[in-house]
Amino acid sequence: MRILFFAGKGGVGKSTMAAAAAWQLAQQYRVLIVSLDPAHNLGDIFRVALRDKKHRFTDSLYLKEIDLQKRSKSYLQREINVLSSTYRYLQTLNLDQCFSVLQYSPGIEEYALLTSIEETIRDEKSFDYIVFDTPPTGLTLRFLALPRVTVTWIERLRQIRRKILEKRYTIVKVRGCEKEETVLKYNPEDDEVLKRLNKMNDNYQSLISVLQGATCSVILVFNPDVLSLRESQRLIQGLQDLNLRLGLLIDNKVTEENRPMAEQVERSIRNLVPSVPLQQVSLVKALSSDSGASLYDIPQNIISML
Amino acid sequence: MGFAIFSYLREILACLDTSHRESAIALTVMEMQELENIFALLLLGSFVGMPSPPTFLAVELLPHMEKELQILNRRAKDACDMLAEMCGSLGID
Repeated sequence: MRILFFAGKGGVGKSTMAAAAAWQLAQQYRVLIVSLDPAHNLGDIFRVALRDKKHRFTDSLYLKEIDLQKRSKSYLQREINVLSSTYRYLQTLNLDQCFSVLQYSPGIEEYALLTSIEETIRDEKSFDYIVFDTPPTGLTLRFLALPRVTVTWIERLRQIRRKILEKRYTIVKVRGCEKEETVLKYNPEDDEVLKRLNKMNDNYQSLISVLQGATCSVILVFNPDVLSLRESQRLIQGLQDLNLRLGLLIDNKVTEENRPMAEQVERSIRNLVPSVPLQQVSLVKALSSDSGASLYDIPQNIISML
Repeated sequence: MGFAIFSYLREILACLDTSHRESAIALTVMEMQELENIFALLLLGSFVGMPSPPTFLAVELLPHMEKELQILNRRAKDACDMLAEMCGSLGID
């Protein structure tokens, strides 16, 4: 199974290029295209209504839009339920509802994105290709960096937790079983905090190895303009820092008028990543109007270099 | 009478035993409490303006952190006289 992330500045045509690539790949392989962008337009491109469920478009092409708000809420609801059951006595005072404020915690959206990617990769092994249409650069880099940042935190916290358990074990052995501390868990297998940390560590390590593996690549979409160039340069730098492989560059919306600028932008980007193949895609004016043409069916073959 | 003396002696020996055991592990107990304090502070430090880990990590572990939160709270109360606390724990008069 191969995984492709379409990334780039907002409005450069990531979704259209991802849809086009998925459509072209689906002529030979089984493909799932997943939109992670909170401002979805995958359904608009394929002219179907998608609601956080896998939709069969053809026998070999499936579409999905991730509902981040719904996922954030369901994750937090699970945590709120655990808290409410831990502090069950609050139910007698009808105060357990106070925990519902947790649903406004910042940073949960990136977590929901990451969990969606992890679940998709884990559960959709029957597909030959999974194509992810990502949100604009800032959010994409943040959630792609999240596994590594999280693993660093988890590793430090595990070290401290193990030390705490060692100390507790020593104390219990010296004291015997009389004091308050003896009711605490001191075996690593019994400690709920360490168990959760270990489980999260396993999940994120496997996600990192998939993201950094040979089967995963990022496709950078850009336009022939200076703003797009600057953001692409930042994205390339960010991907290099995260050890993620750049598989293809797509210069989208090229016209006869902007060709000199397109070539200049391409040169600047190729200086950074000389070995990555580049594909030019012309602006098809018919696609921008509601002419009934299929937005995903573009004349250029963008998958030949993948 | 004899039974009472033996019982009394046994109590004294038990007290001596506990006292020796306690003094042997006093430093370990202090270390453990400090580690628990650090663990809670790292995880929930955003409350006092420290850089925090990804929010979901804290949210995920929060239901099991009751004891650490109590220690954090107690530490905050004792923070005004940490020197006395350290001297007390290390047996320095």
